[in-house]
Amino acid sequence: MARYIIRRLLTMLLTMFLVSILVFAIVEIAPGNVARNILGAYATPEQEKSMQNQLGLDRSPVIRYLSWLLGSDWQASRLVGYPLKVITISEGVVAKYQQWWAVDENGALVQWEIQDGRLYKLIRQSDGKTKAVEDEQAWKVNEEGRKYFWGINNANQAALWMQGEGGVEYRLEYSGWIASTGSPVDYIPLSKGLIRGDMGISLRYKRPVSEIIARRFTNSLILASIAILVSIPLAILLGLLAGLNEGKPLDRIISIGGLVTTASPDFATGIILIMIFALGLKILPGATVFMENNSVLKDPRLLVLPVLTAGLVEIGYVVRMTRASVVEVMNSPYVRTAILKGLSSRQIIFKHVLPNAMMAPITVIMLHVNWFIGGLVVVESVFGYPGLGNLILNAALYKDVYTIEASSMVLILLAVGTQLFADLIYALINPRIRYS
Amino acid sequence: MEPKKIHPLIPEAQEMLRKNQITRGEFLRLSTLLGLSVASAKFLAACAQPTPTEVAAPTAVPPTAMTATEAPAVSPTAASQIVRGGTIRAATRVERVDHPARFSLVSQSHPWRHVFDYLTYTDPKGVTSPYLLDKWEVSDDLMTWTLDLKQGIKFNNGKELTADDVVFNFNQWLDKDVGSSIMGSMSYLDKTGVEKKDNYTVILHLKEPSIFVPEHLFHYAACILPKEFGGDITREPIGTGAFTMEEYVPGERCRLKRREDYWRMGEDGKPLPYLDEIIMVQLGEDRTPDIAALQSGQVDAIIEPTVAIWEGVKDDTRYEVLSTPTAATRLLRVRVDQEPWTKNEVRLALKHCHNREKILALALQGQGTIGNDSHVAQAQPEYVDIPPYPFDPAKSKEYLAQAGYPNGLDVELVVVSDWPESMAYAQALKEDAAAGGFNITLKTMPASQFWDGWTEWNMAISWWAHRALAPMVLPLAYTADDTGKPVTWNESRWVDEEFSTLLKEAMKTLDLPKRREIIGKCEQIQKERGSICTPFFVNVWKIYDKKFHGIVPSPEEFAIFHEAWKEA
Repeated sequence: MARYIIRRLLTMLLTMFLVSILVFAIVEIAPGNVARNILGAYATPEQEKSMQNQLGLDRSPVIRYLSWLLGSDWQASRLVGYPLKVITISEGVVAKYQQWWAVDENGALVQWEIQDGRLYKLIRQSDGKTKAVEDEQAWKVNEEGRKYFWGINNANQAALWMQGEGGVEYRLEYSGWIASTGSPVDYIPLSKGLIRGDMGISLRYKRPVSEIIARRFTNSLILASIAILVSIPLAILLGLLAGLNEGKPLDRIISIGGLVTTASPDFATGIILIMIFALGLKILPGATVFMENNSVLKDPRLLVLPVLTAGLVEIGYVVRMTRASVVEVMNSPYVRTAILKGLSSRQIIFKHVLPNAMMAPITVIMLHVNWFIGGLVVVESVFGYPGLGNLILNAALYKDVYTIEASSMVLILLAVGTQLFADLIYALINPRIRYS
Repeated sequence: MEPKKIHPLIPEAQEMLRKNQITRGEFLRLSTLLGLSVASAKFLAACAQPTPTEVAAPTAVPPTAMTATEAPAVSPTAASQIVRGGTIRAATRVERVDHPARFSLVSQSHPWRHVFDYLTYTDPKGVTSPYLLDKWEVSDDLMTWTLDLKQGIKFNNGKELTADDVVFNFNQWLDKDVGSSIMGSMSYLDKTGVEKKDNYTVILHLKEPSIFVPEHLFHYAACILPKEFGGDITREPIGTGAFTMEEYVPGERCRLKRREDYWRMGEDGKPLPYLDEIIMVQLGEDRTPDIAALQSGQVDAIIEPTVAIWEGVKDDTRYEVLSTPTAATRLLRVRVDQEPWTKNEVRLALKHCHNREKILALALQGQGTIGNDSHVAQAQPEYVDIPPYPFDPAKSKEYLAQAGYPNGLDVELVVVSDWPESMAYAQALKEDAAAGGFNITLKTMPASQFWDGWTEWNMAISWWAHRALAPMVLPLAYTADDTGKPVTWNESRWVDEEFSTLLKEAMKTLDLPKRREIIGKCEQIQKERGSICTPFFVNVWKIYDKKFHGIVPSPEEFAIFHEAWKEA
């Protein structure tokens, strides 16, 4: 069993690695480049080039993939010549900020900037402010005899300045283009990389993706797990009842009911439920308004309609699956033998029918967890639920690449994880598998 | 104190009012702009009233409003009725923000106008009065404006507001590197023209005369920041406003808490605001869940509702649904510096492809007014009724042939999928324009993506907020700066010499009939050779639970909760 688990874990790692390449490649080859998507189709080539440079998009795809996965701080650290450090500061009303600094020989945190053509070192003080000290002797000379300097700027980038010449930096703000001169000529956006937990900065909200995803993922997980915990046992019970009463009125009612809930798309179910319970009877909230981060825990009523909407589709499907499986097992020779042997119906059902009839539904349920999480996109949109589905939809519409990539990786990890879990349960129930 | 001098233009305006050349509202707006207090203006207006029926109007204004010059009372209510405490929960969009001077969406200002104050306040009728200012005075030639600040106003970090802060703000607004839209609207002012006289007085020396200074100071991007401001309000939410920002999660939610020591007094003699808390929430990109959220009592108000939301709640008696025609529009603009729009014939062809009544019906259920391809609306006092081009596909083809496109033209129209009225407009146009020789491909995108590059698209339907007067909006989008470069918000890059000259003239013309004449010419120019199509101007709605009172109506769709209170 241990070998089996290890083998499965290794396969899972390999899968994740291959998938990360795939996700990166898909976002890479999606029509239009990232800078263009941010800038709009009619940005000038200079503006586009400046933006690409700032985002590090002018580097080769392999380097970018490695930076995304493993981080870029180690490359930057080599160029700057100091170890780099990221600190988290808490300031203002938008949670926390990350700041990258170099650690100089005295152990002080430093950044650099150019003022009127001269290089200044900004030393971080204990109160969070910086002290600017002229650092003109820090220029290095390249082969062509020109003076250059690699440092860390105040925008979480490693930046290359050339003395006496400045790139023109274009920034696109809501109200239009802003160009400033004397800027670095090359940039490396700093990141610790996905496997070290740094998912990059959302192009849309300019906030760390990991922070946004953590909150959204928790919300989705709460919704999904409650929906699954409620609907699956209920569905298995109903399926079992229908299967045991094959052809009788109870079976007909359950089967047709299951067909109806499966056949109604979740956006329609959601709206009908809102109309009945929120607007008509006025007993449940019709949208999931989060007045604070843990609203659902404080007011679980918020979850009722989304859970019902997501669960109903699932229930019908699993009911029909279980029913078919139970019917098949009930007609098998060993069950007939058990009946003929005179075993009590309780023994027959719990010892012989259930374990054997559960094989197919469990596989389906586990496969369905992924499908289910995907289906949350719709439910979350209908109810305005701030979950991962809503996030990934908006990120895809906006082409917020780091958010798309990170959310995809999280969802895939979840998919692979549940698959592993399913296989383990399967192996537990069915000894043939763990010895093959 | 020296005797108060009345601006020489005021008697002239009074004369115009007497001759019925301007309305009472226009007179009030004008005379307060020229430094008169609201009370005095109302008195002069009453003296000049031409007909007995109109004389009755001012008497309807309760005495409280007459005396409250500095802090305009918006909803005069008996003080005893007002209840303190409670929370208002409003559905809106919670946008990413950094520097308020760079605000270019009204929705960015909804939460933050409660944290910061403006120097002036323009009421729903277009009358501007001092706010952080104590008063202003303007020279006879309209070139020198003296702004006197109220004393003793404190930021929420305890620091007092002084002239240095105001000068800092002007310098930010007028700084090319900050990139504020105010640079376009205040084209009459340079950084060098801003002078600190003493701790509470700032003098503006204009480059050319303008009467709009006080109104421009209430532009939603003109929040007053402390001079230590570093560039990001989410890091330093330090303002003089009535609330403090407690939490700000872009795309999700923000929460504001009452400040105890706000400088404005409520009707009950204690500091405003009445409410303890404001929560603004965004329920995803799609606004449809807002309806269910309102009707199941999870939010109390919907800010900037869409047509669909208006339809959903318009007949529900539990809510106040106010409808106001505005000068806000979703206009189609083309880049005249890019092919194929460099030729006016192509633009004219497109204008002839507009079936305006149909577009208005489809886009807004008729809840709007028809436009004539100029950026001047019926809701603005200068509007001259110039009929738009009729829907005429054959004429369109003719124009296209003249421009060298006898076989029609393929164009890509950028439309925001979150704005149903823009989508409906685009789809109606796509169908109708096919007969006129345009093969339009729609490129849809969410609003956030659109805004991040909104001035850059070749052909797009963009979103323009309401502005009270035509000369307040036209310089923002259809002029160039001193060097001839189109101003920041000139999304179509269209600059016309005759138009600009006329506009400069209009901006210093006090006399409304004369200004109307000039703006009429501007309308004609935009219609004949401009860069935009304006098939309609929208109505806006304010939707809130009837339990709430003191919510200020606003054609600009500003959400102002300073004097809002909730029934116990």
